[in-house]
Amino acid sequence: MNKLLKLEYYKNLNYKPFRVFTLLYFVILTALLFIGLIDFDLFGGTINLKQQGIYNFPEIWNFTTWIVGLLKIFLGLIIVFSICQEFNDRMFKQNIIDGLSREEFIGSKLLTIGIFTIISTLIVFAITLFLGYQYSTVTSSDRVFEEIFFIGNYFVKLFTFFCFLMFLSVLLRKSVFVFLAVFIFWIVEGVLSTAEVFMKVKGMQGAQRNEILQNDFFVSHLLPLESMSSLIPNPMMRLNMAKMMGLKYEFHYPTESLIACLAWCAVFILGSYWILKKRDW
Amino acid sequence: MIYDISVTFRTEYRLLQGKTNSMEKILSVKNLTKKFKRVVVNNISFDVEKGNVYGLLGPNGSGKSTTFGMLLSTINPTSGEWYWFGKKGTDPDTLKKIGAIIEQPNFYPYLSAETNLKIVAEIKGTSYQRIEEVLKTVHLYERRKDTFRTFSLGMKQRLAIASAMLNNPEVLILDEPTNGLDPEGIIQIRDIITNIAKQGITIIIASHLLDEIEKICSHVIVLKEGNSIYSGRVDEMTADNGYFELKADNNTLLLSALNELQWFAVVNQDGEIIKAQIRDDASVSASALNQKLAEKGIFLSHLTRKKQSLETQFLELVKNTK
Repeated sequence: MNKLLKLEYYKNLNYKPFRVFTLLYFVILTALLFIGLIDFDLFGGTINLKQQGIYNFPEIWNFTTWIVGLLKIFLGLIIVFSICQEFNDRMFKQNIIDGLSREEFIGSKLLTIGIFTIISTLIVFAITLFLGYQYSTVTSSDRVFEEIFFIGNYFVKLFTFFCFLMFLSVLLRKSVFVFLAVFIFWIVEGVLSTAEVFMKVKGMQGAQRNEILQNDFFVSHLLPLESMSSLIPNPMMRLNMAKMMGLKYEFHYPTESLIACLAWCAVFILGSYWILKKRDW
Repeated sequence: MIYDISVTFRTEYRLLQGKTNSMEKILSVKNLTKKFKRVVVNNISFDVEKGNVYGLLGPNGSGKSTTFGMLLSTINPTSGEWYWFGKKGTDPDTLKKIGAIIEQPNFYPYLSAETNLKIVAEIKGTSYQRIEEVLKTVHLYERRKDTFRTFSLGMKQRLAIASAMLNNPEVLILDEPTNGLDPEGIIQIRDIITNIAKQGITIIIASHLLDEIEKICSHVIVLKEGNSIYSGRVDEMTADNGYFELKADNNTLLLSALNELQWFAVVNQDGEIIKAQIRDDASVSASALNQKLAEKGIFLSHLTRKKQSLETQFLELVKNTK
């Protein structure tokens, strides 16, 4: 473990672009959490997200994790470049010849991913807690920690996403192809889930249709990107504005998405290992 | 200069070998085969004994790098097996006892020479103390803080050797170590390799450069289109007694005198020089020949005894197996 940590330290932290972009990520991450303090000009009027209640316990956990969740692609870029570099410079091959095992290689990359995810999660947790105590209308401890599970979901979401990127990097070895593949995945999943919804609600109307949409089990929700995004649902329905318009917010804990994500992690990690083992370098 | 070094080296190496007289097997390869779309390595077998310098000889595309790839666990073999130090296959612990340089020097271009070696030291589980030592051996200690990408090809290759030597390996594998280098770089690399060989480290070196193999190696494995066509000592590659090169003021007289003697298989004239191929069953020294000719009243202005170069032998070998 110590050895793998040192390896990743030498390989990554001595690389200037890596250092710069990592620092940038954490700065942007922190800044983005304070977004509610800014007034937006929208449709002629100003919108202040804080006044819309995003910093209220317990919704704040949903809001912050969802907003900074969008930034995961930024950190993902860094991880993809770092892993693809190993293959472009033929360093993976050299590492193997020097006596690094494939397990250790995967282990070192998981270590980097894990550390990034943990730091990101801790920052989000600490700042959210701070913002909540600062601006929330309620601060009774049962309300504060009611939806704390979003922090756990955020960790799983990021970790799964990075495992997915690691797998694609090992499979395709060129960062450009990895991003293309993610894009294609995203479109294909979108098409598949739309198709499934369409098939299920065909010919239905009104309440019956909503009932299906709310409670039915969708296989497409188990797809990697879909299950990651279901871990933290879009919180816009929880804005005060939405409440005023009479929109009802219902939330079921996405247990099946959580299980799907953990399963995908295992698939991606074992898949990466299998490719490293089977391919000729 | 290079030649002098290699001559001393060979003598010393033979003394060393005579002293230990060990037959310890470092590597034993049995029926190794690799098929990509076509057969790249076909059923080759050879043994590597401790303390010797082996040459893996063959033209480009004859399967040298693929063979090394399999022995270093980066390429999965189609069939066959091998034993490193008596242990089947290649696991990471075995690789830590091997120093290898493949195709071209691979290092992180944005890291300094020193940091690159620290990474290798971490992987191999060696202390950082050796880094200074190996950098000095390859004359790169002054450049240790510079990034790898600023190095010339010769320096990169020397760093690769330093890296391979980091863990005091028992075997050194070199794939085309002088490929693409300028003459000075070639001399530097050869000097380093000869010095390593003097330490009794077993070396397996792949090359398509025959004079390189001839100068460094004691044993040779010749590959042709993935097949091993010869495996053994360099000097036993062809049963050949060698030939004389002679020149006299009167070459016609010399020619007929040589033909009269029963020692030569072929005598022919090549410009000013006459070449006399010694018969397989004959044994004749240069001084004996000189004396004989002097008795006949022929005085030579030129006389050398030569052995067929490895190049000629190699070409003959390749030709014969067509």
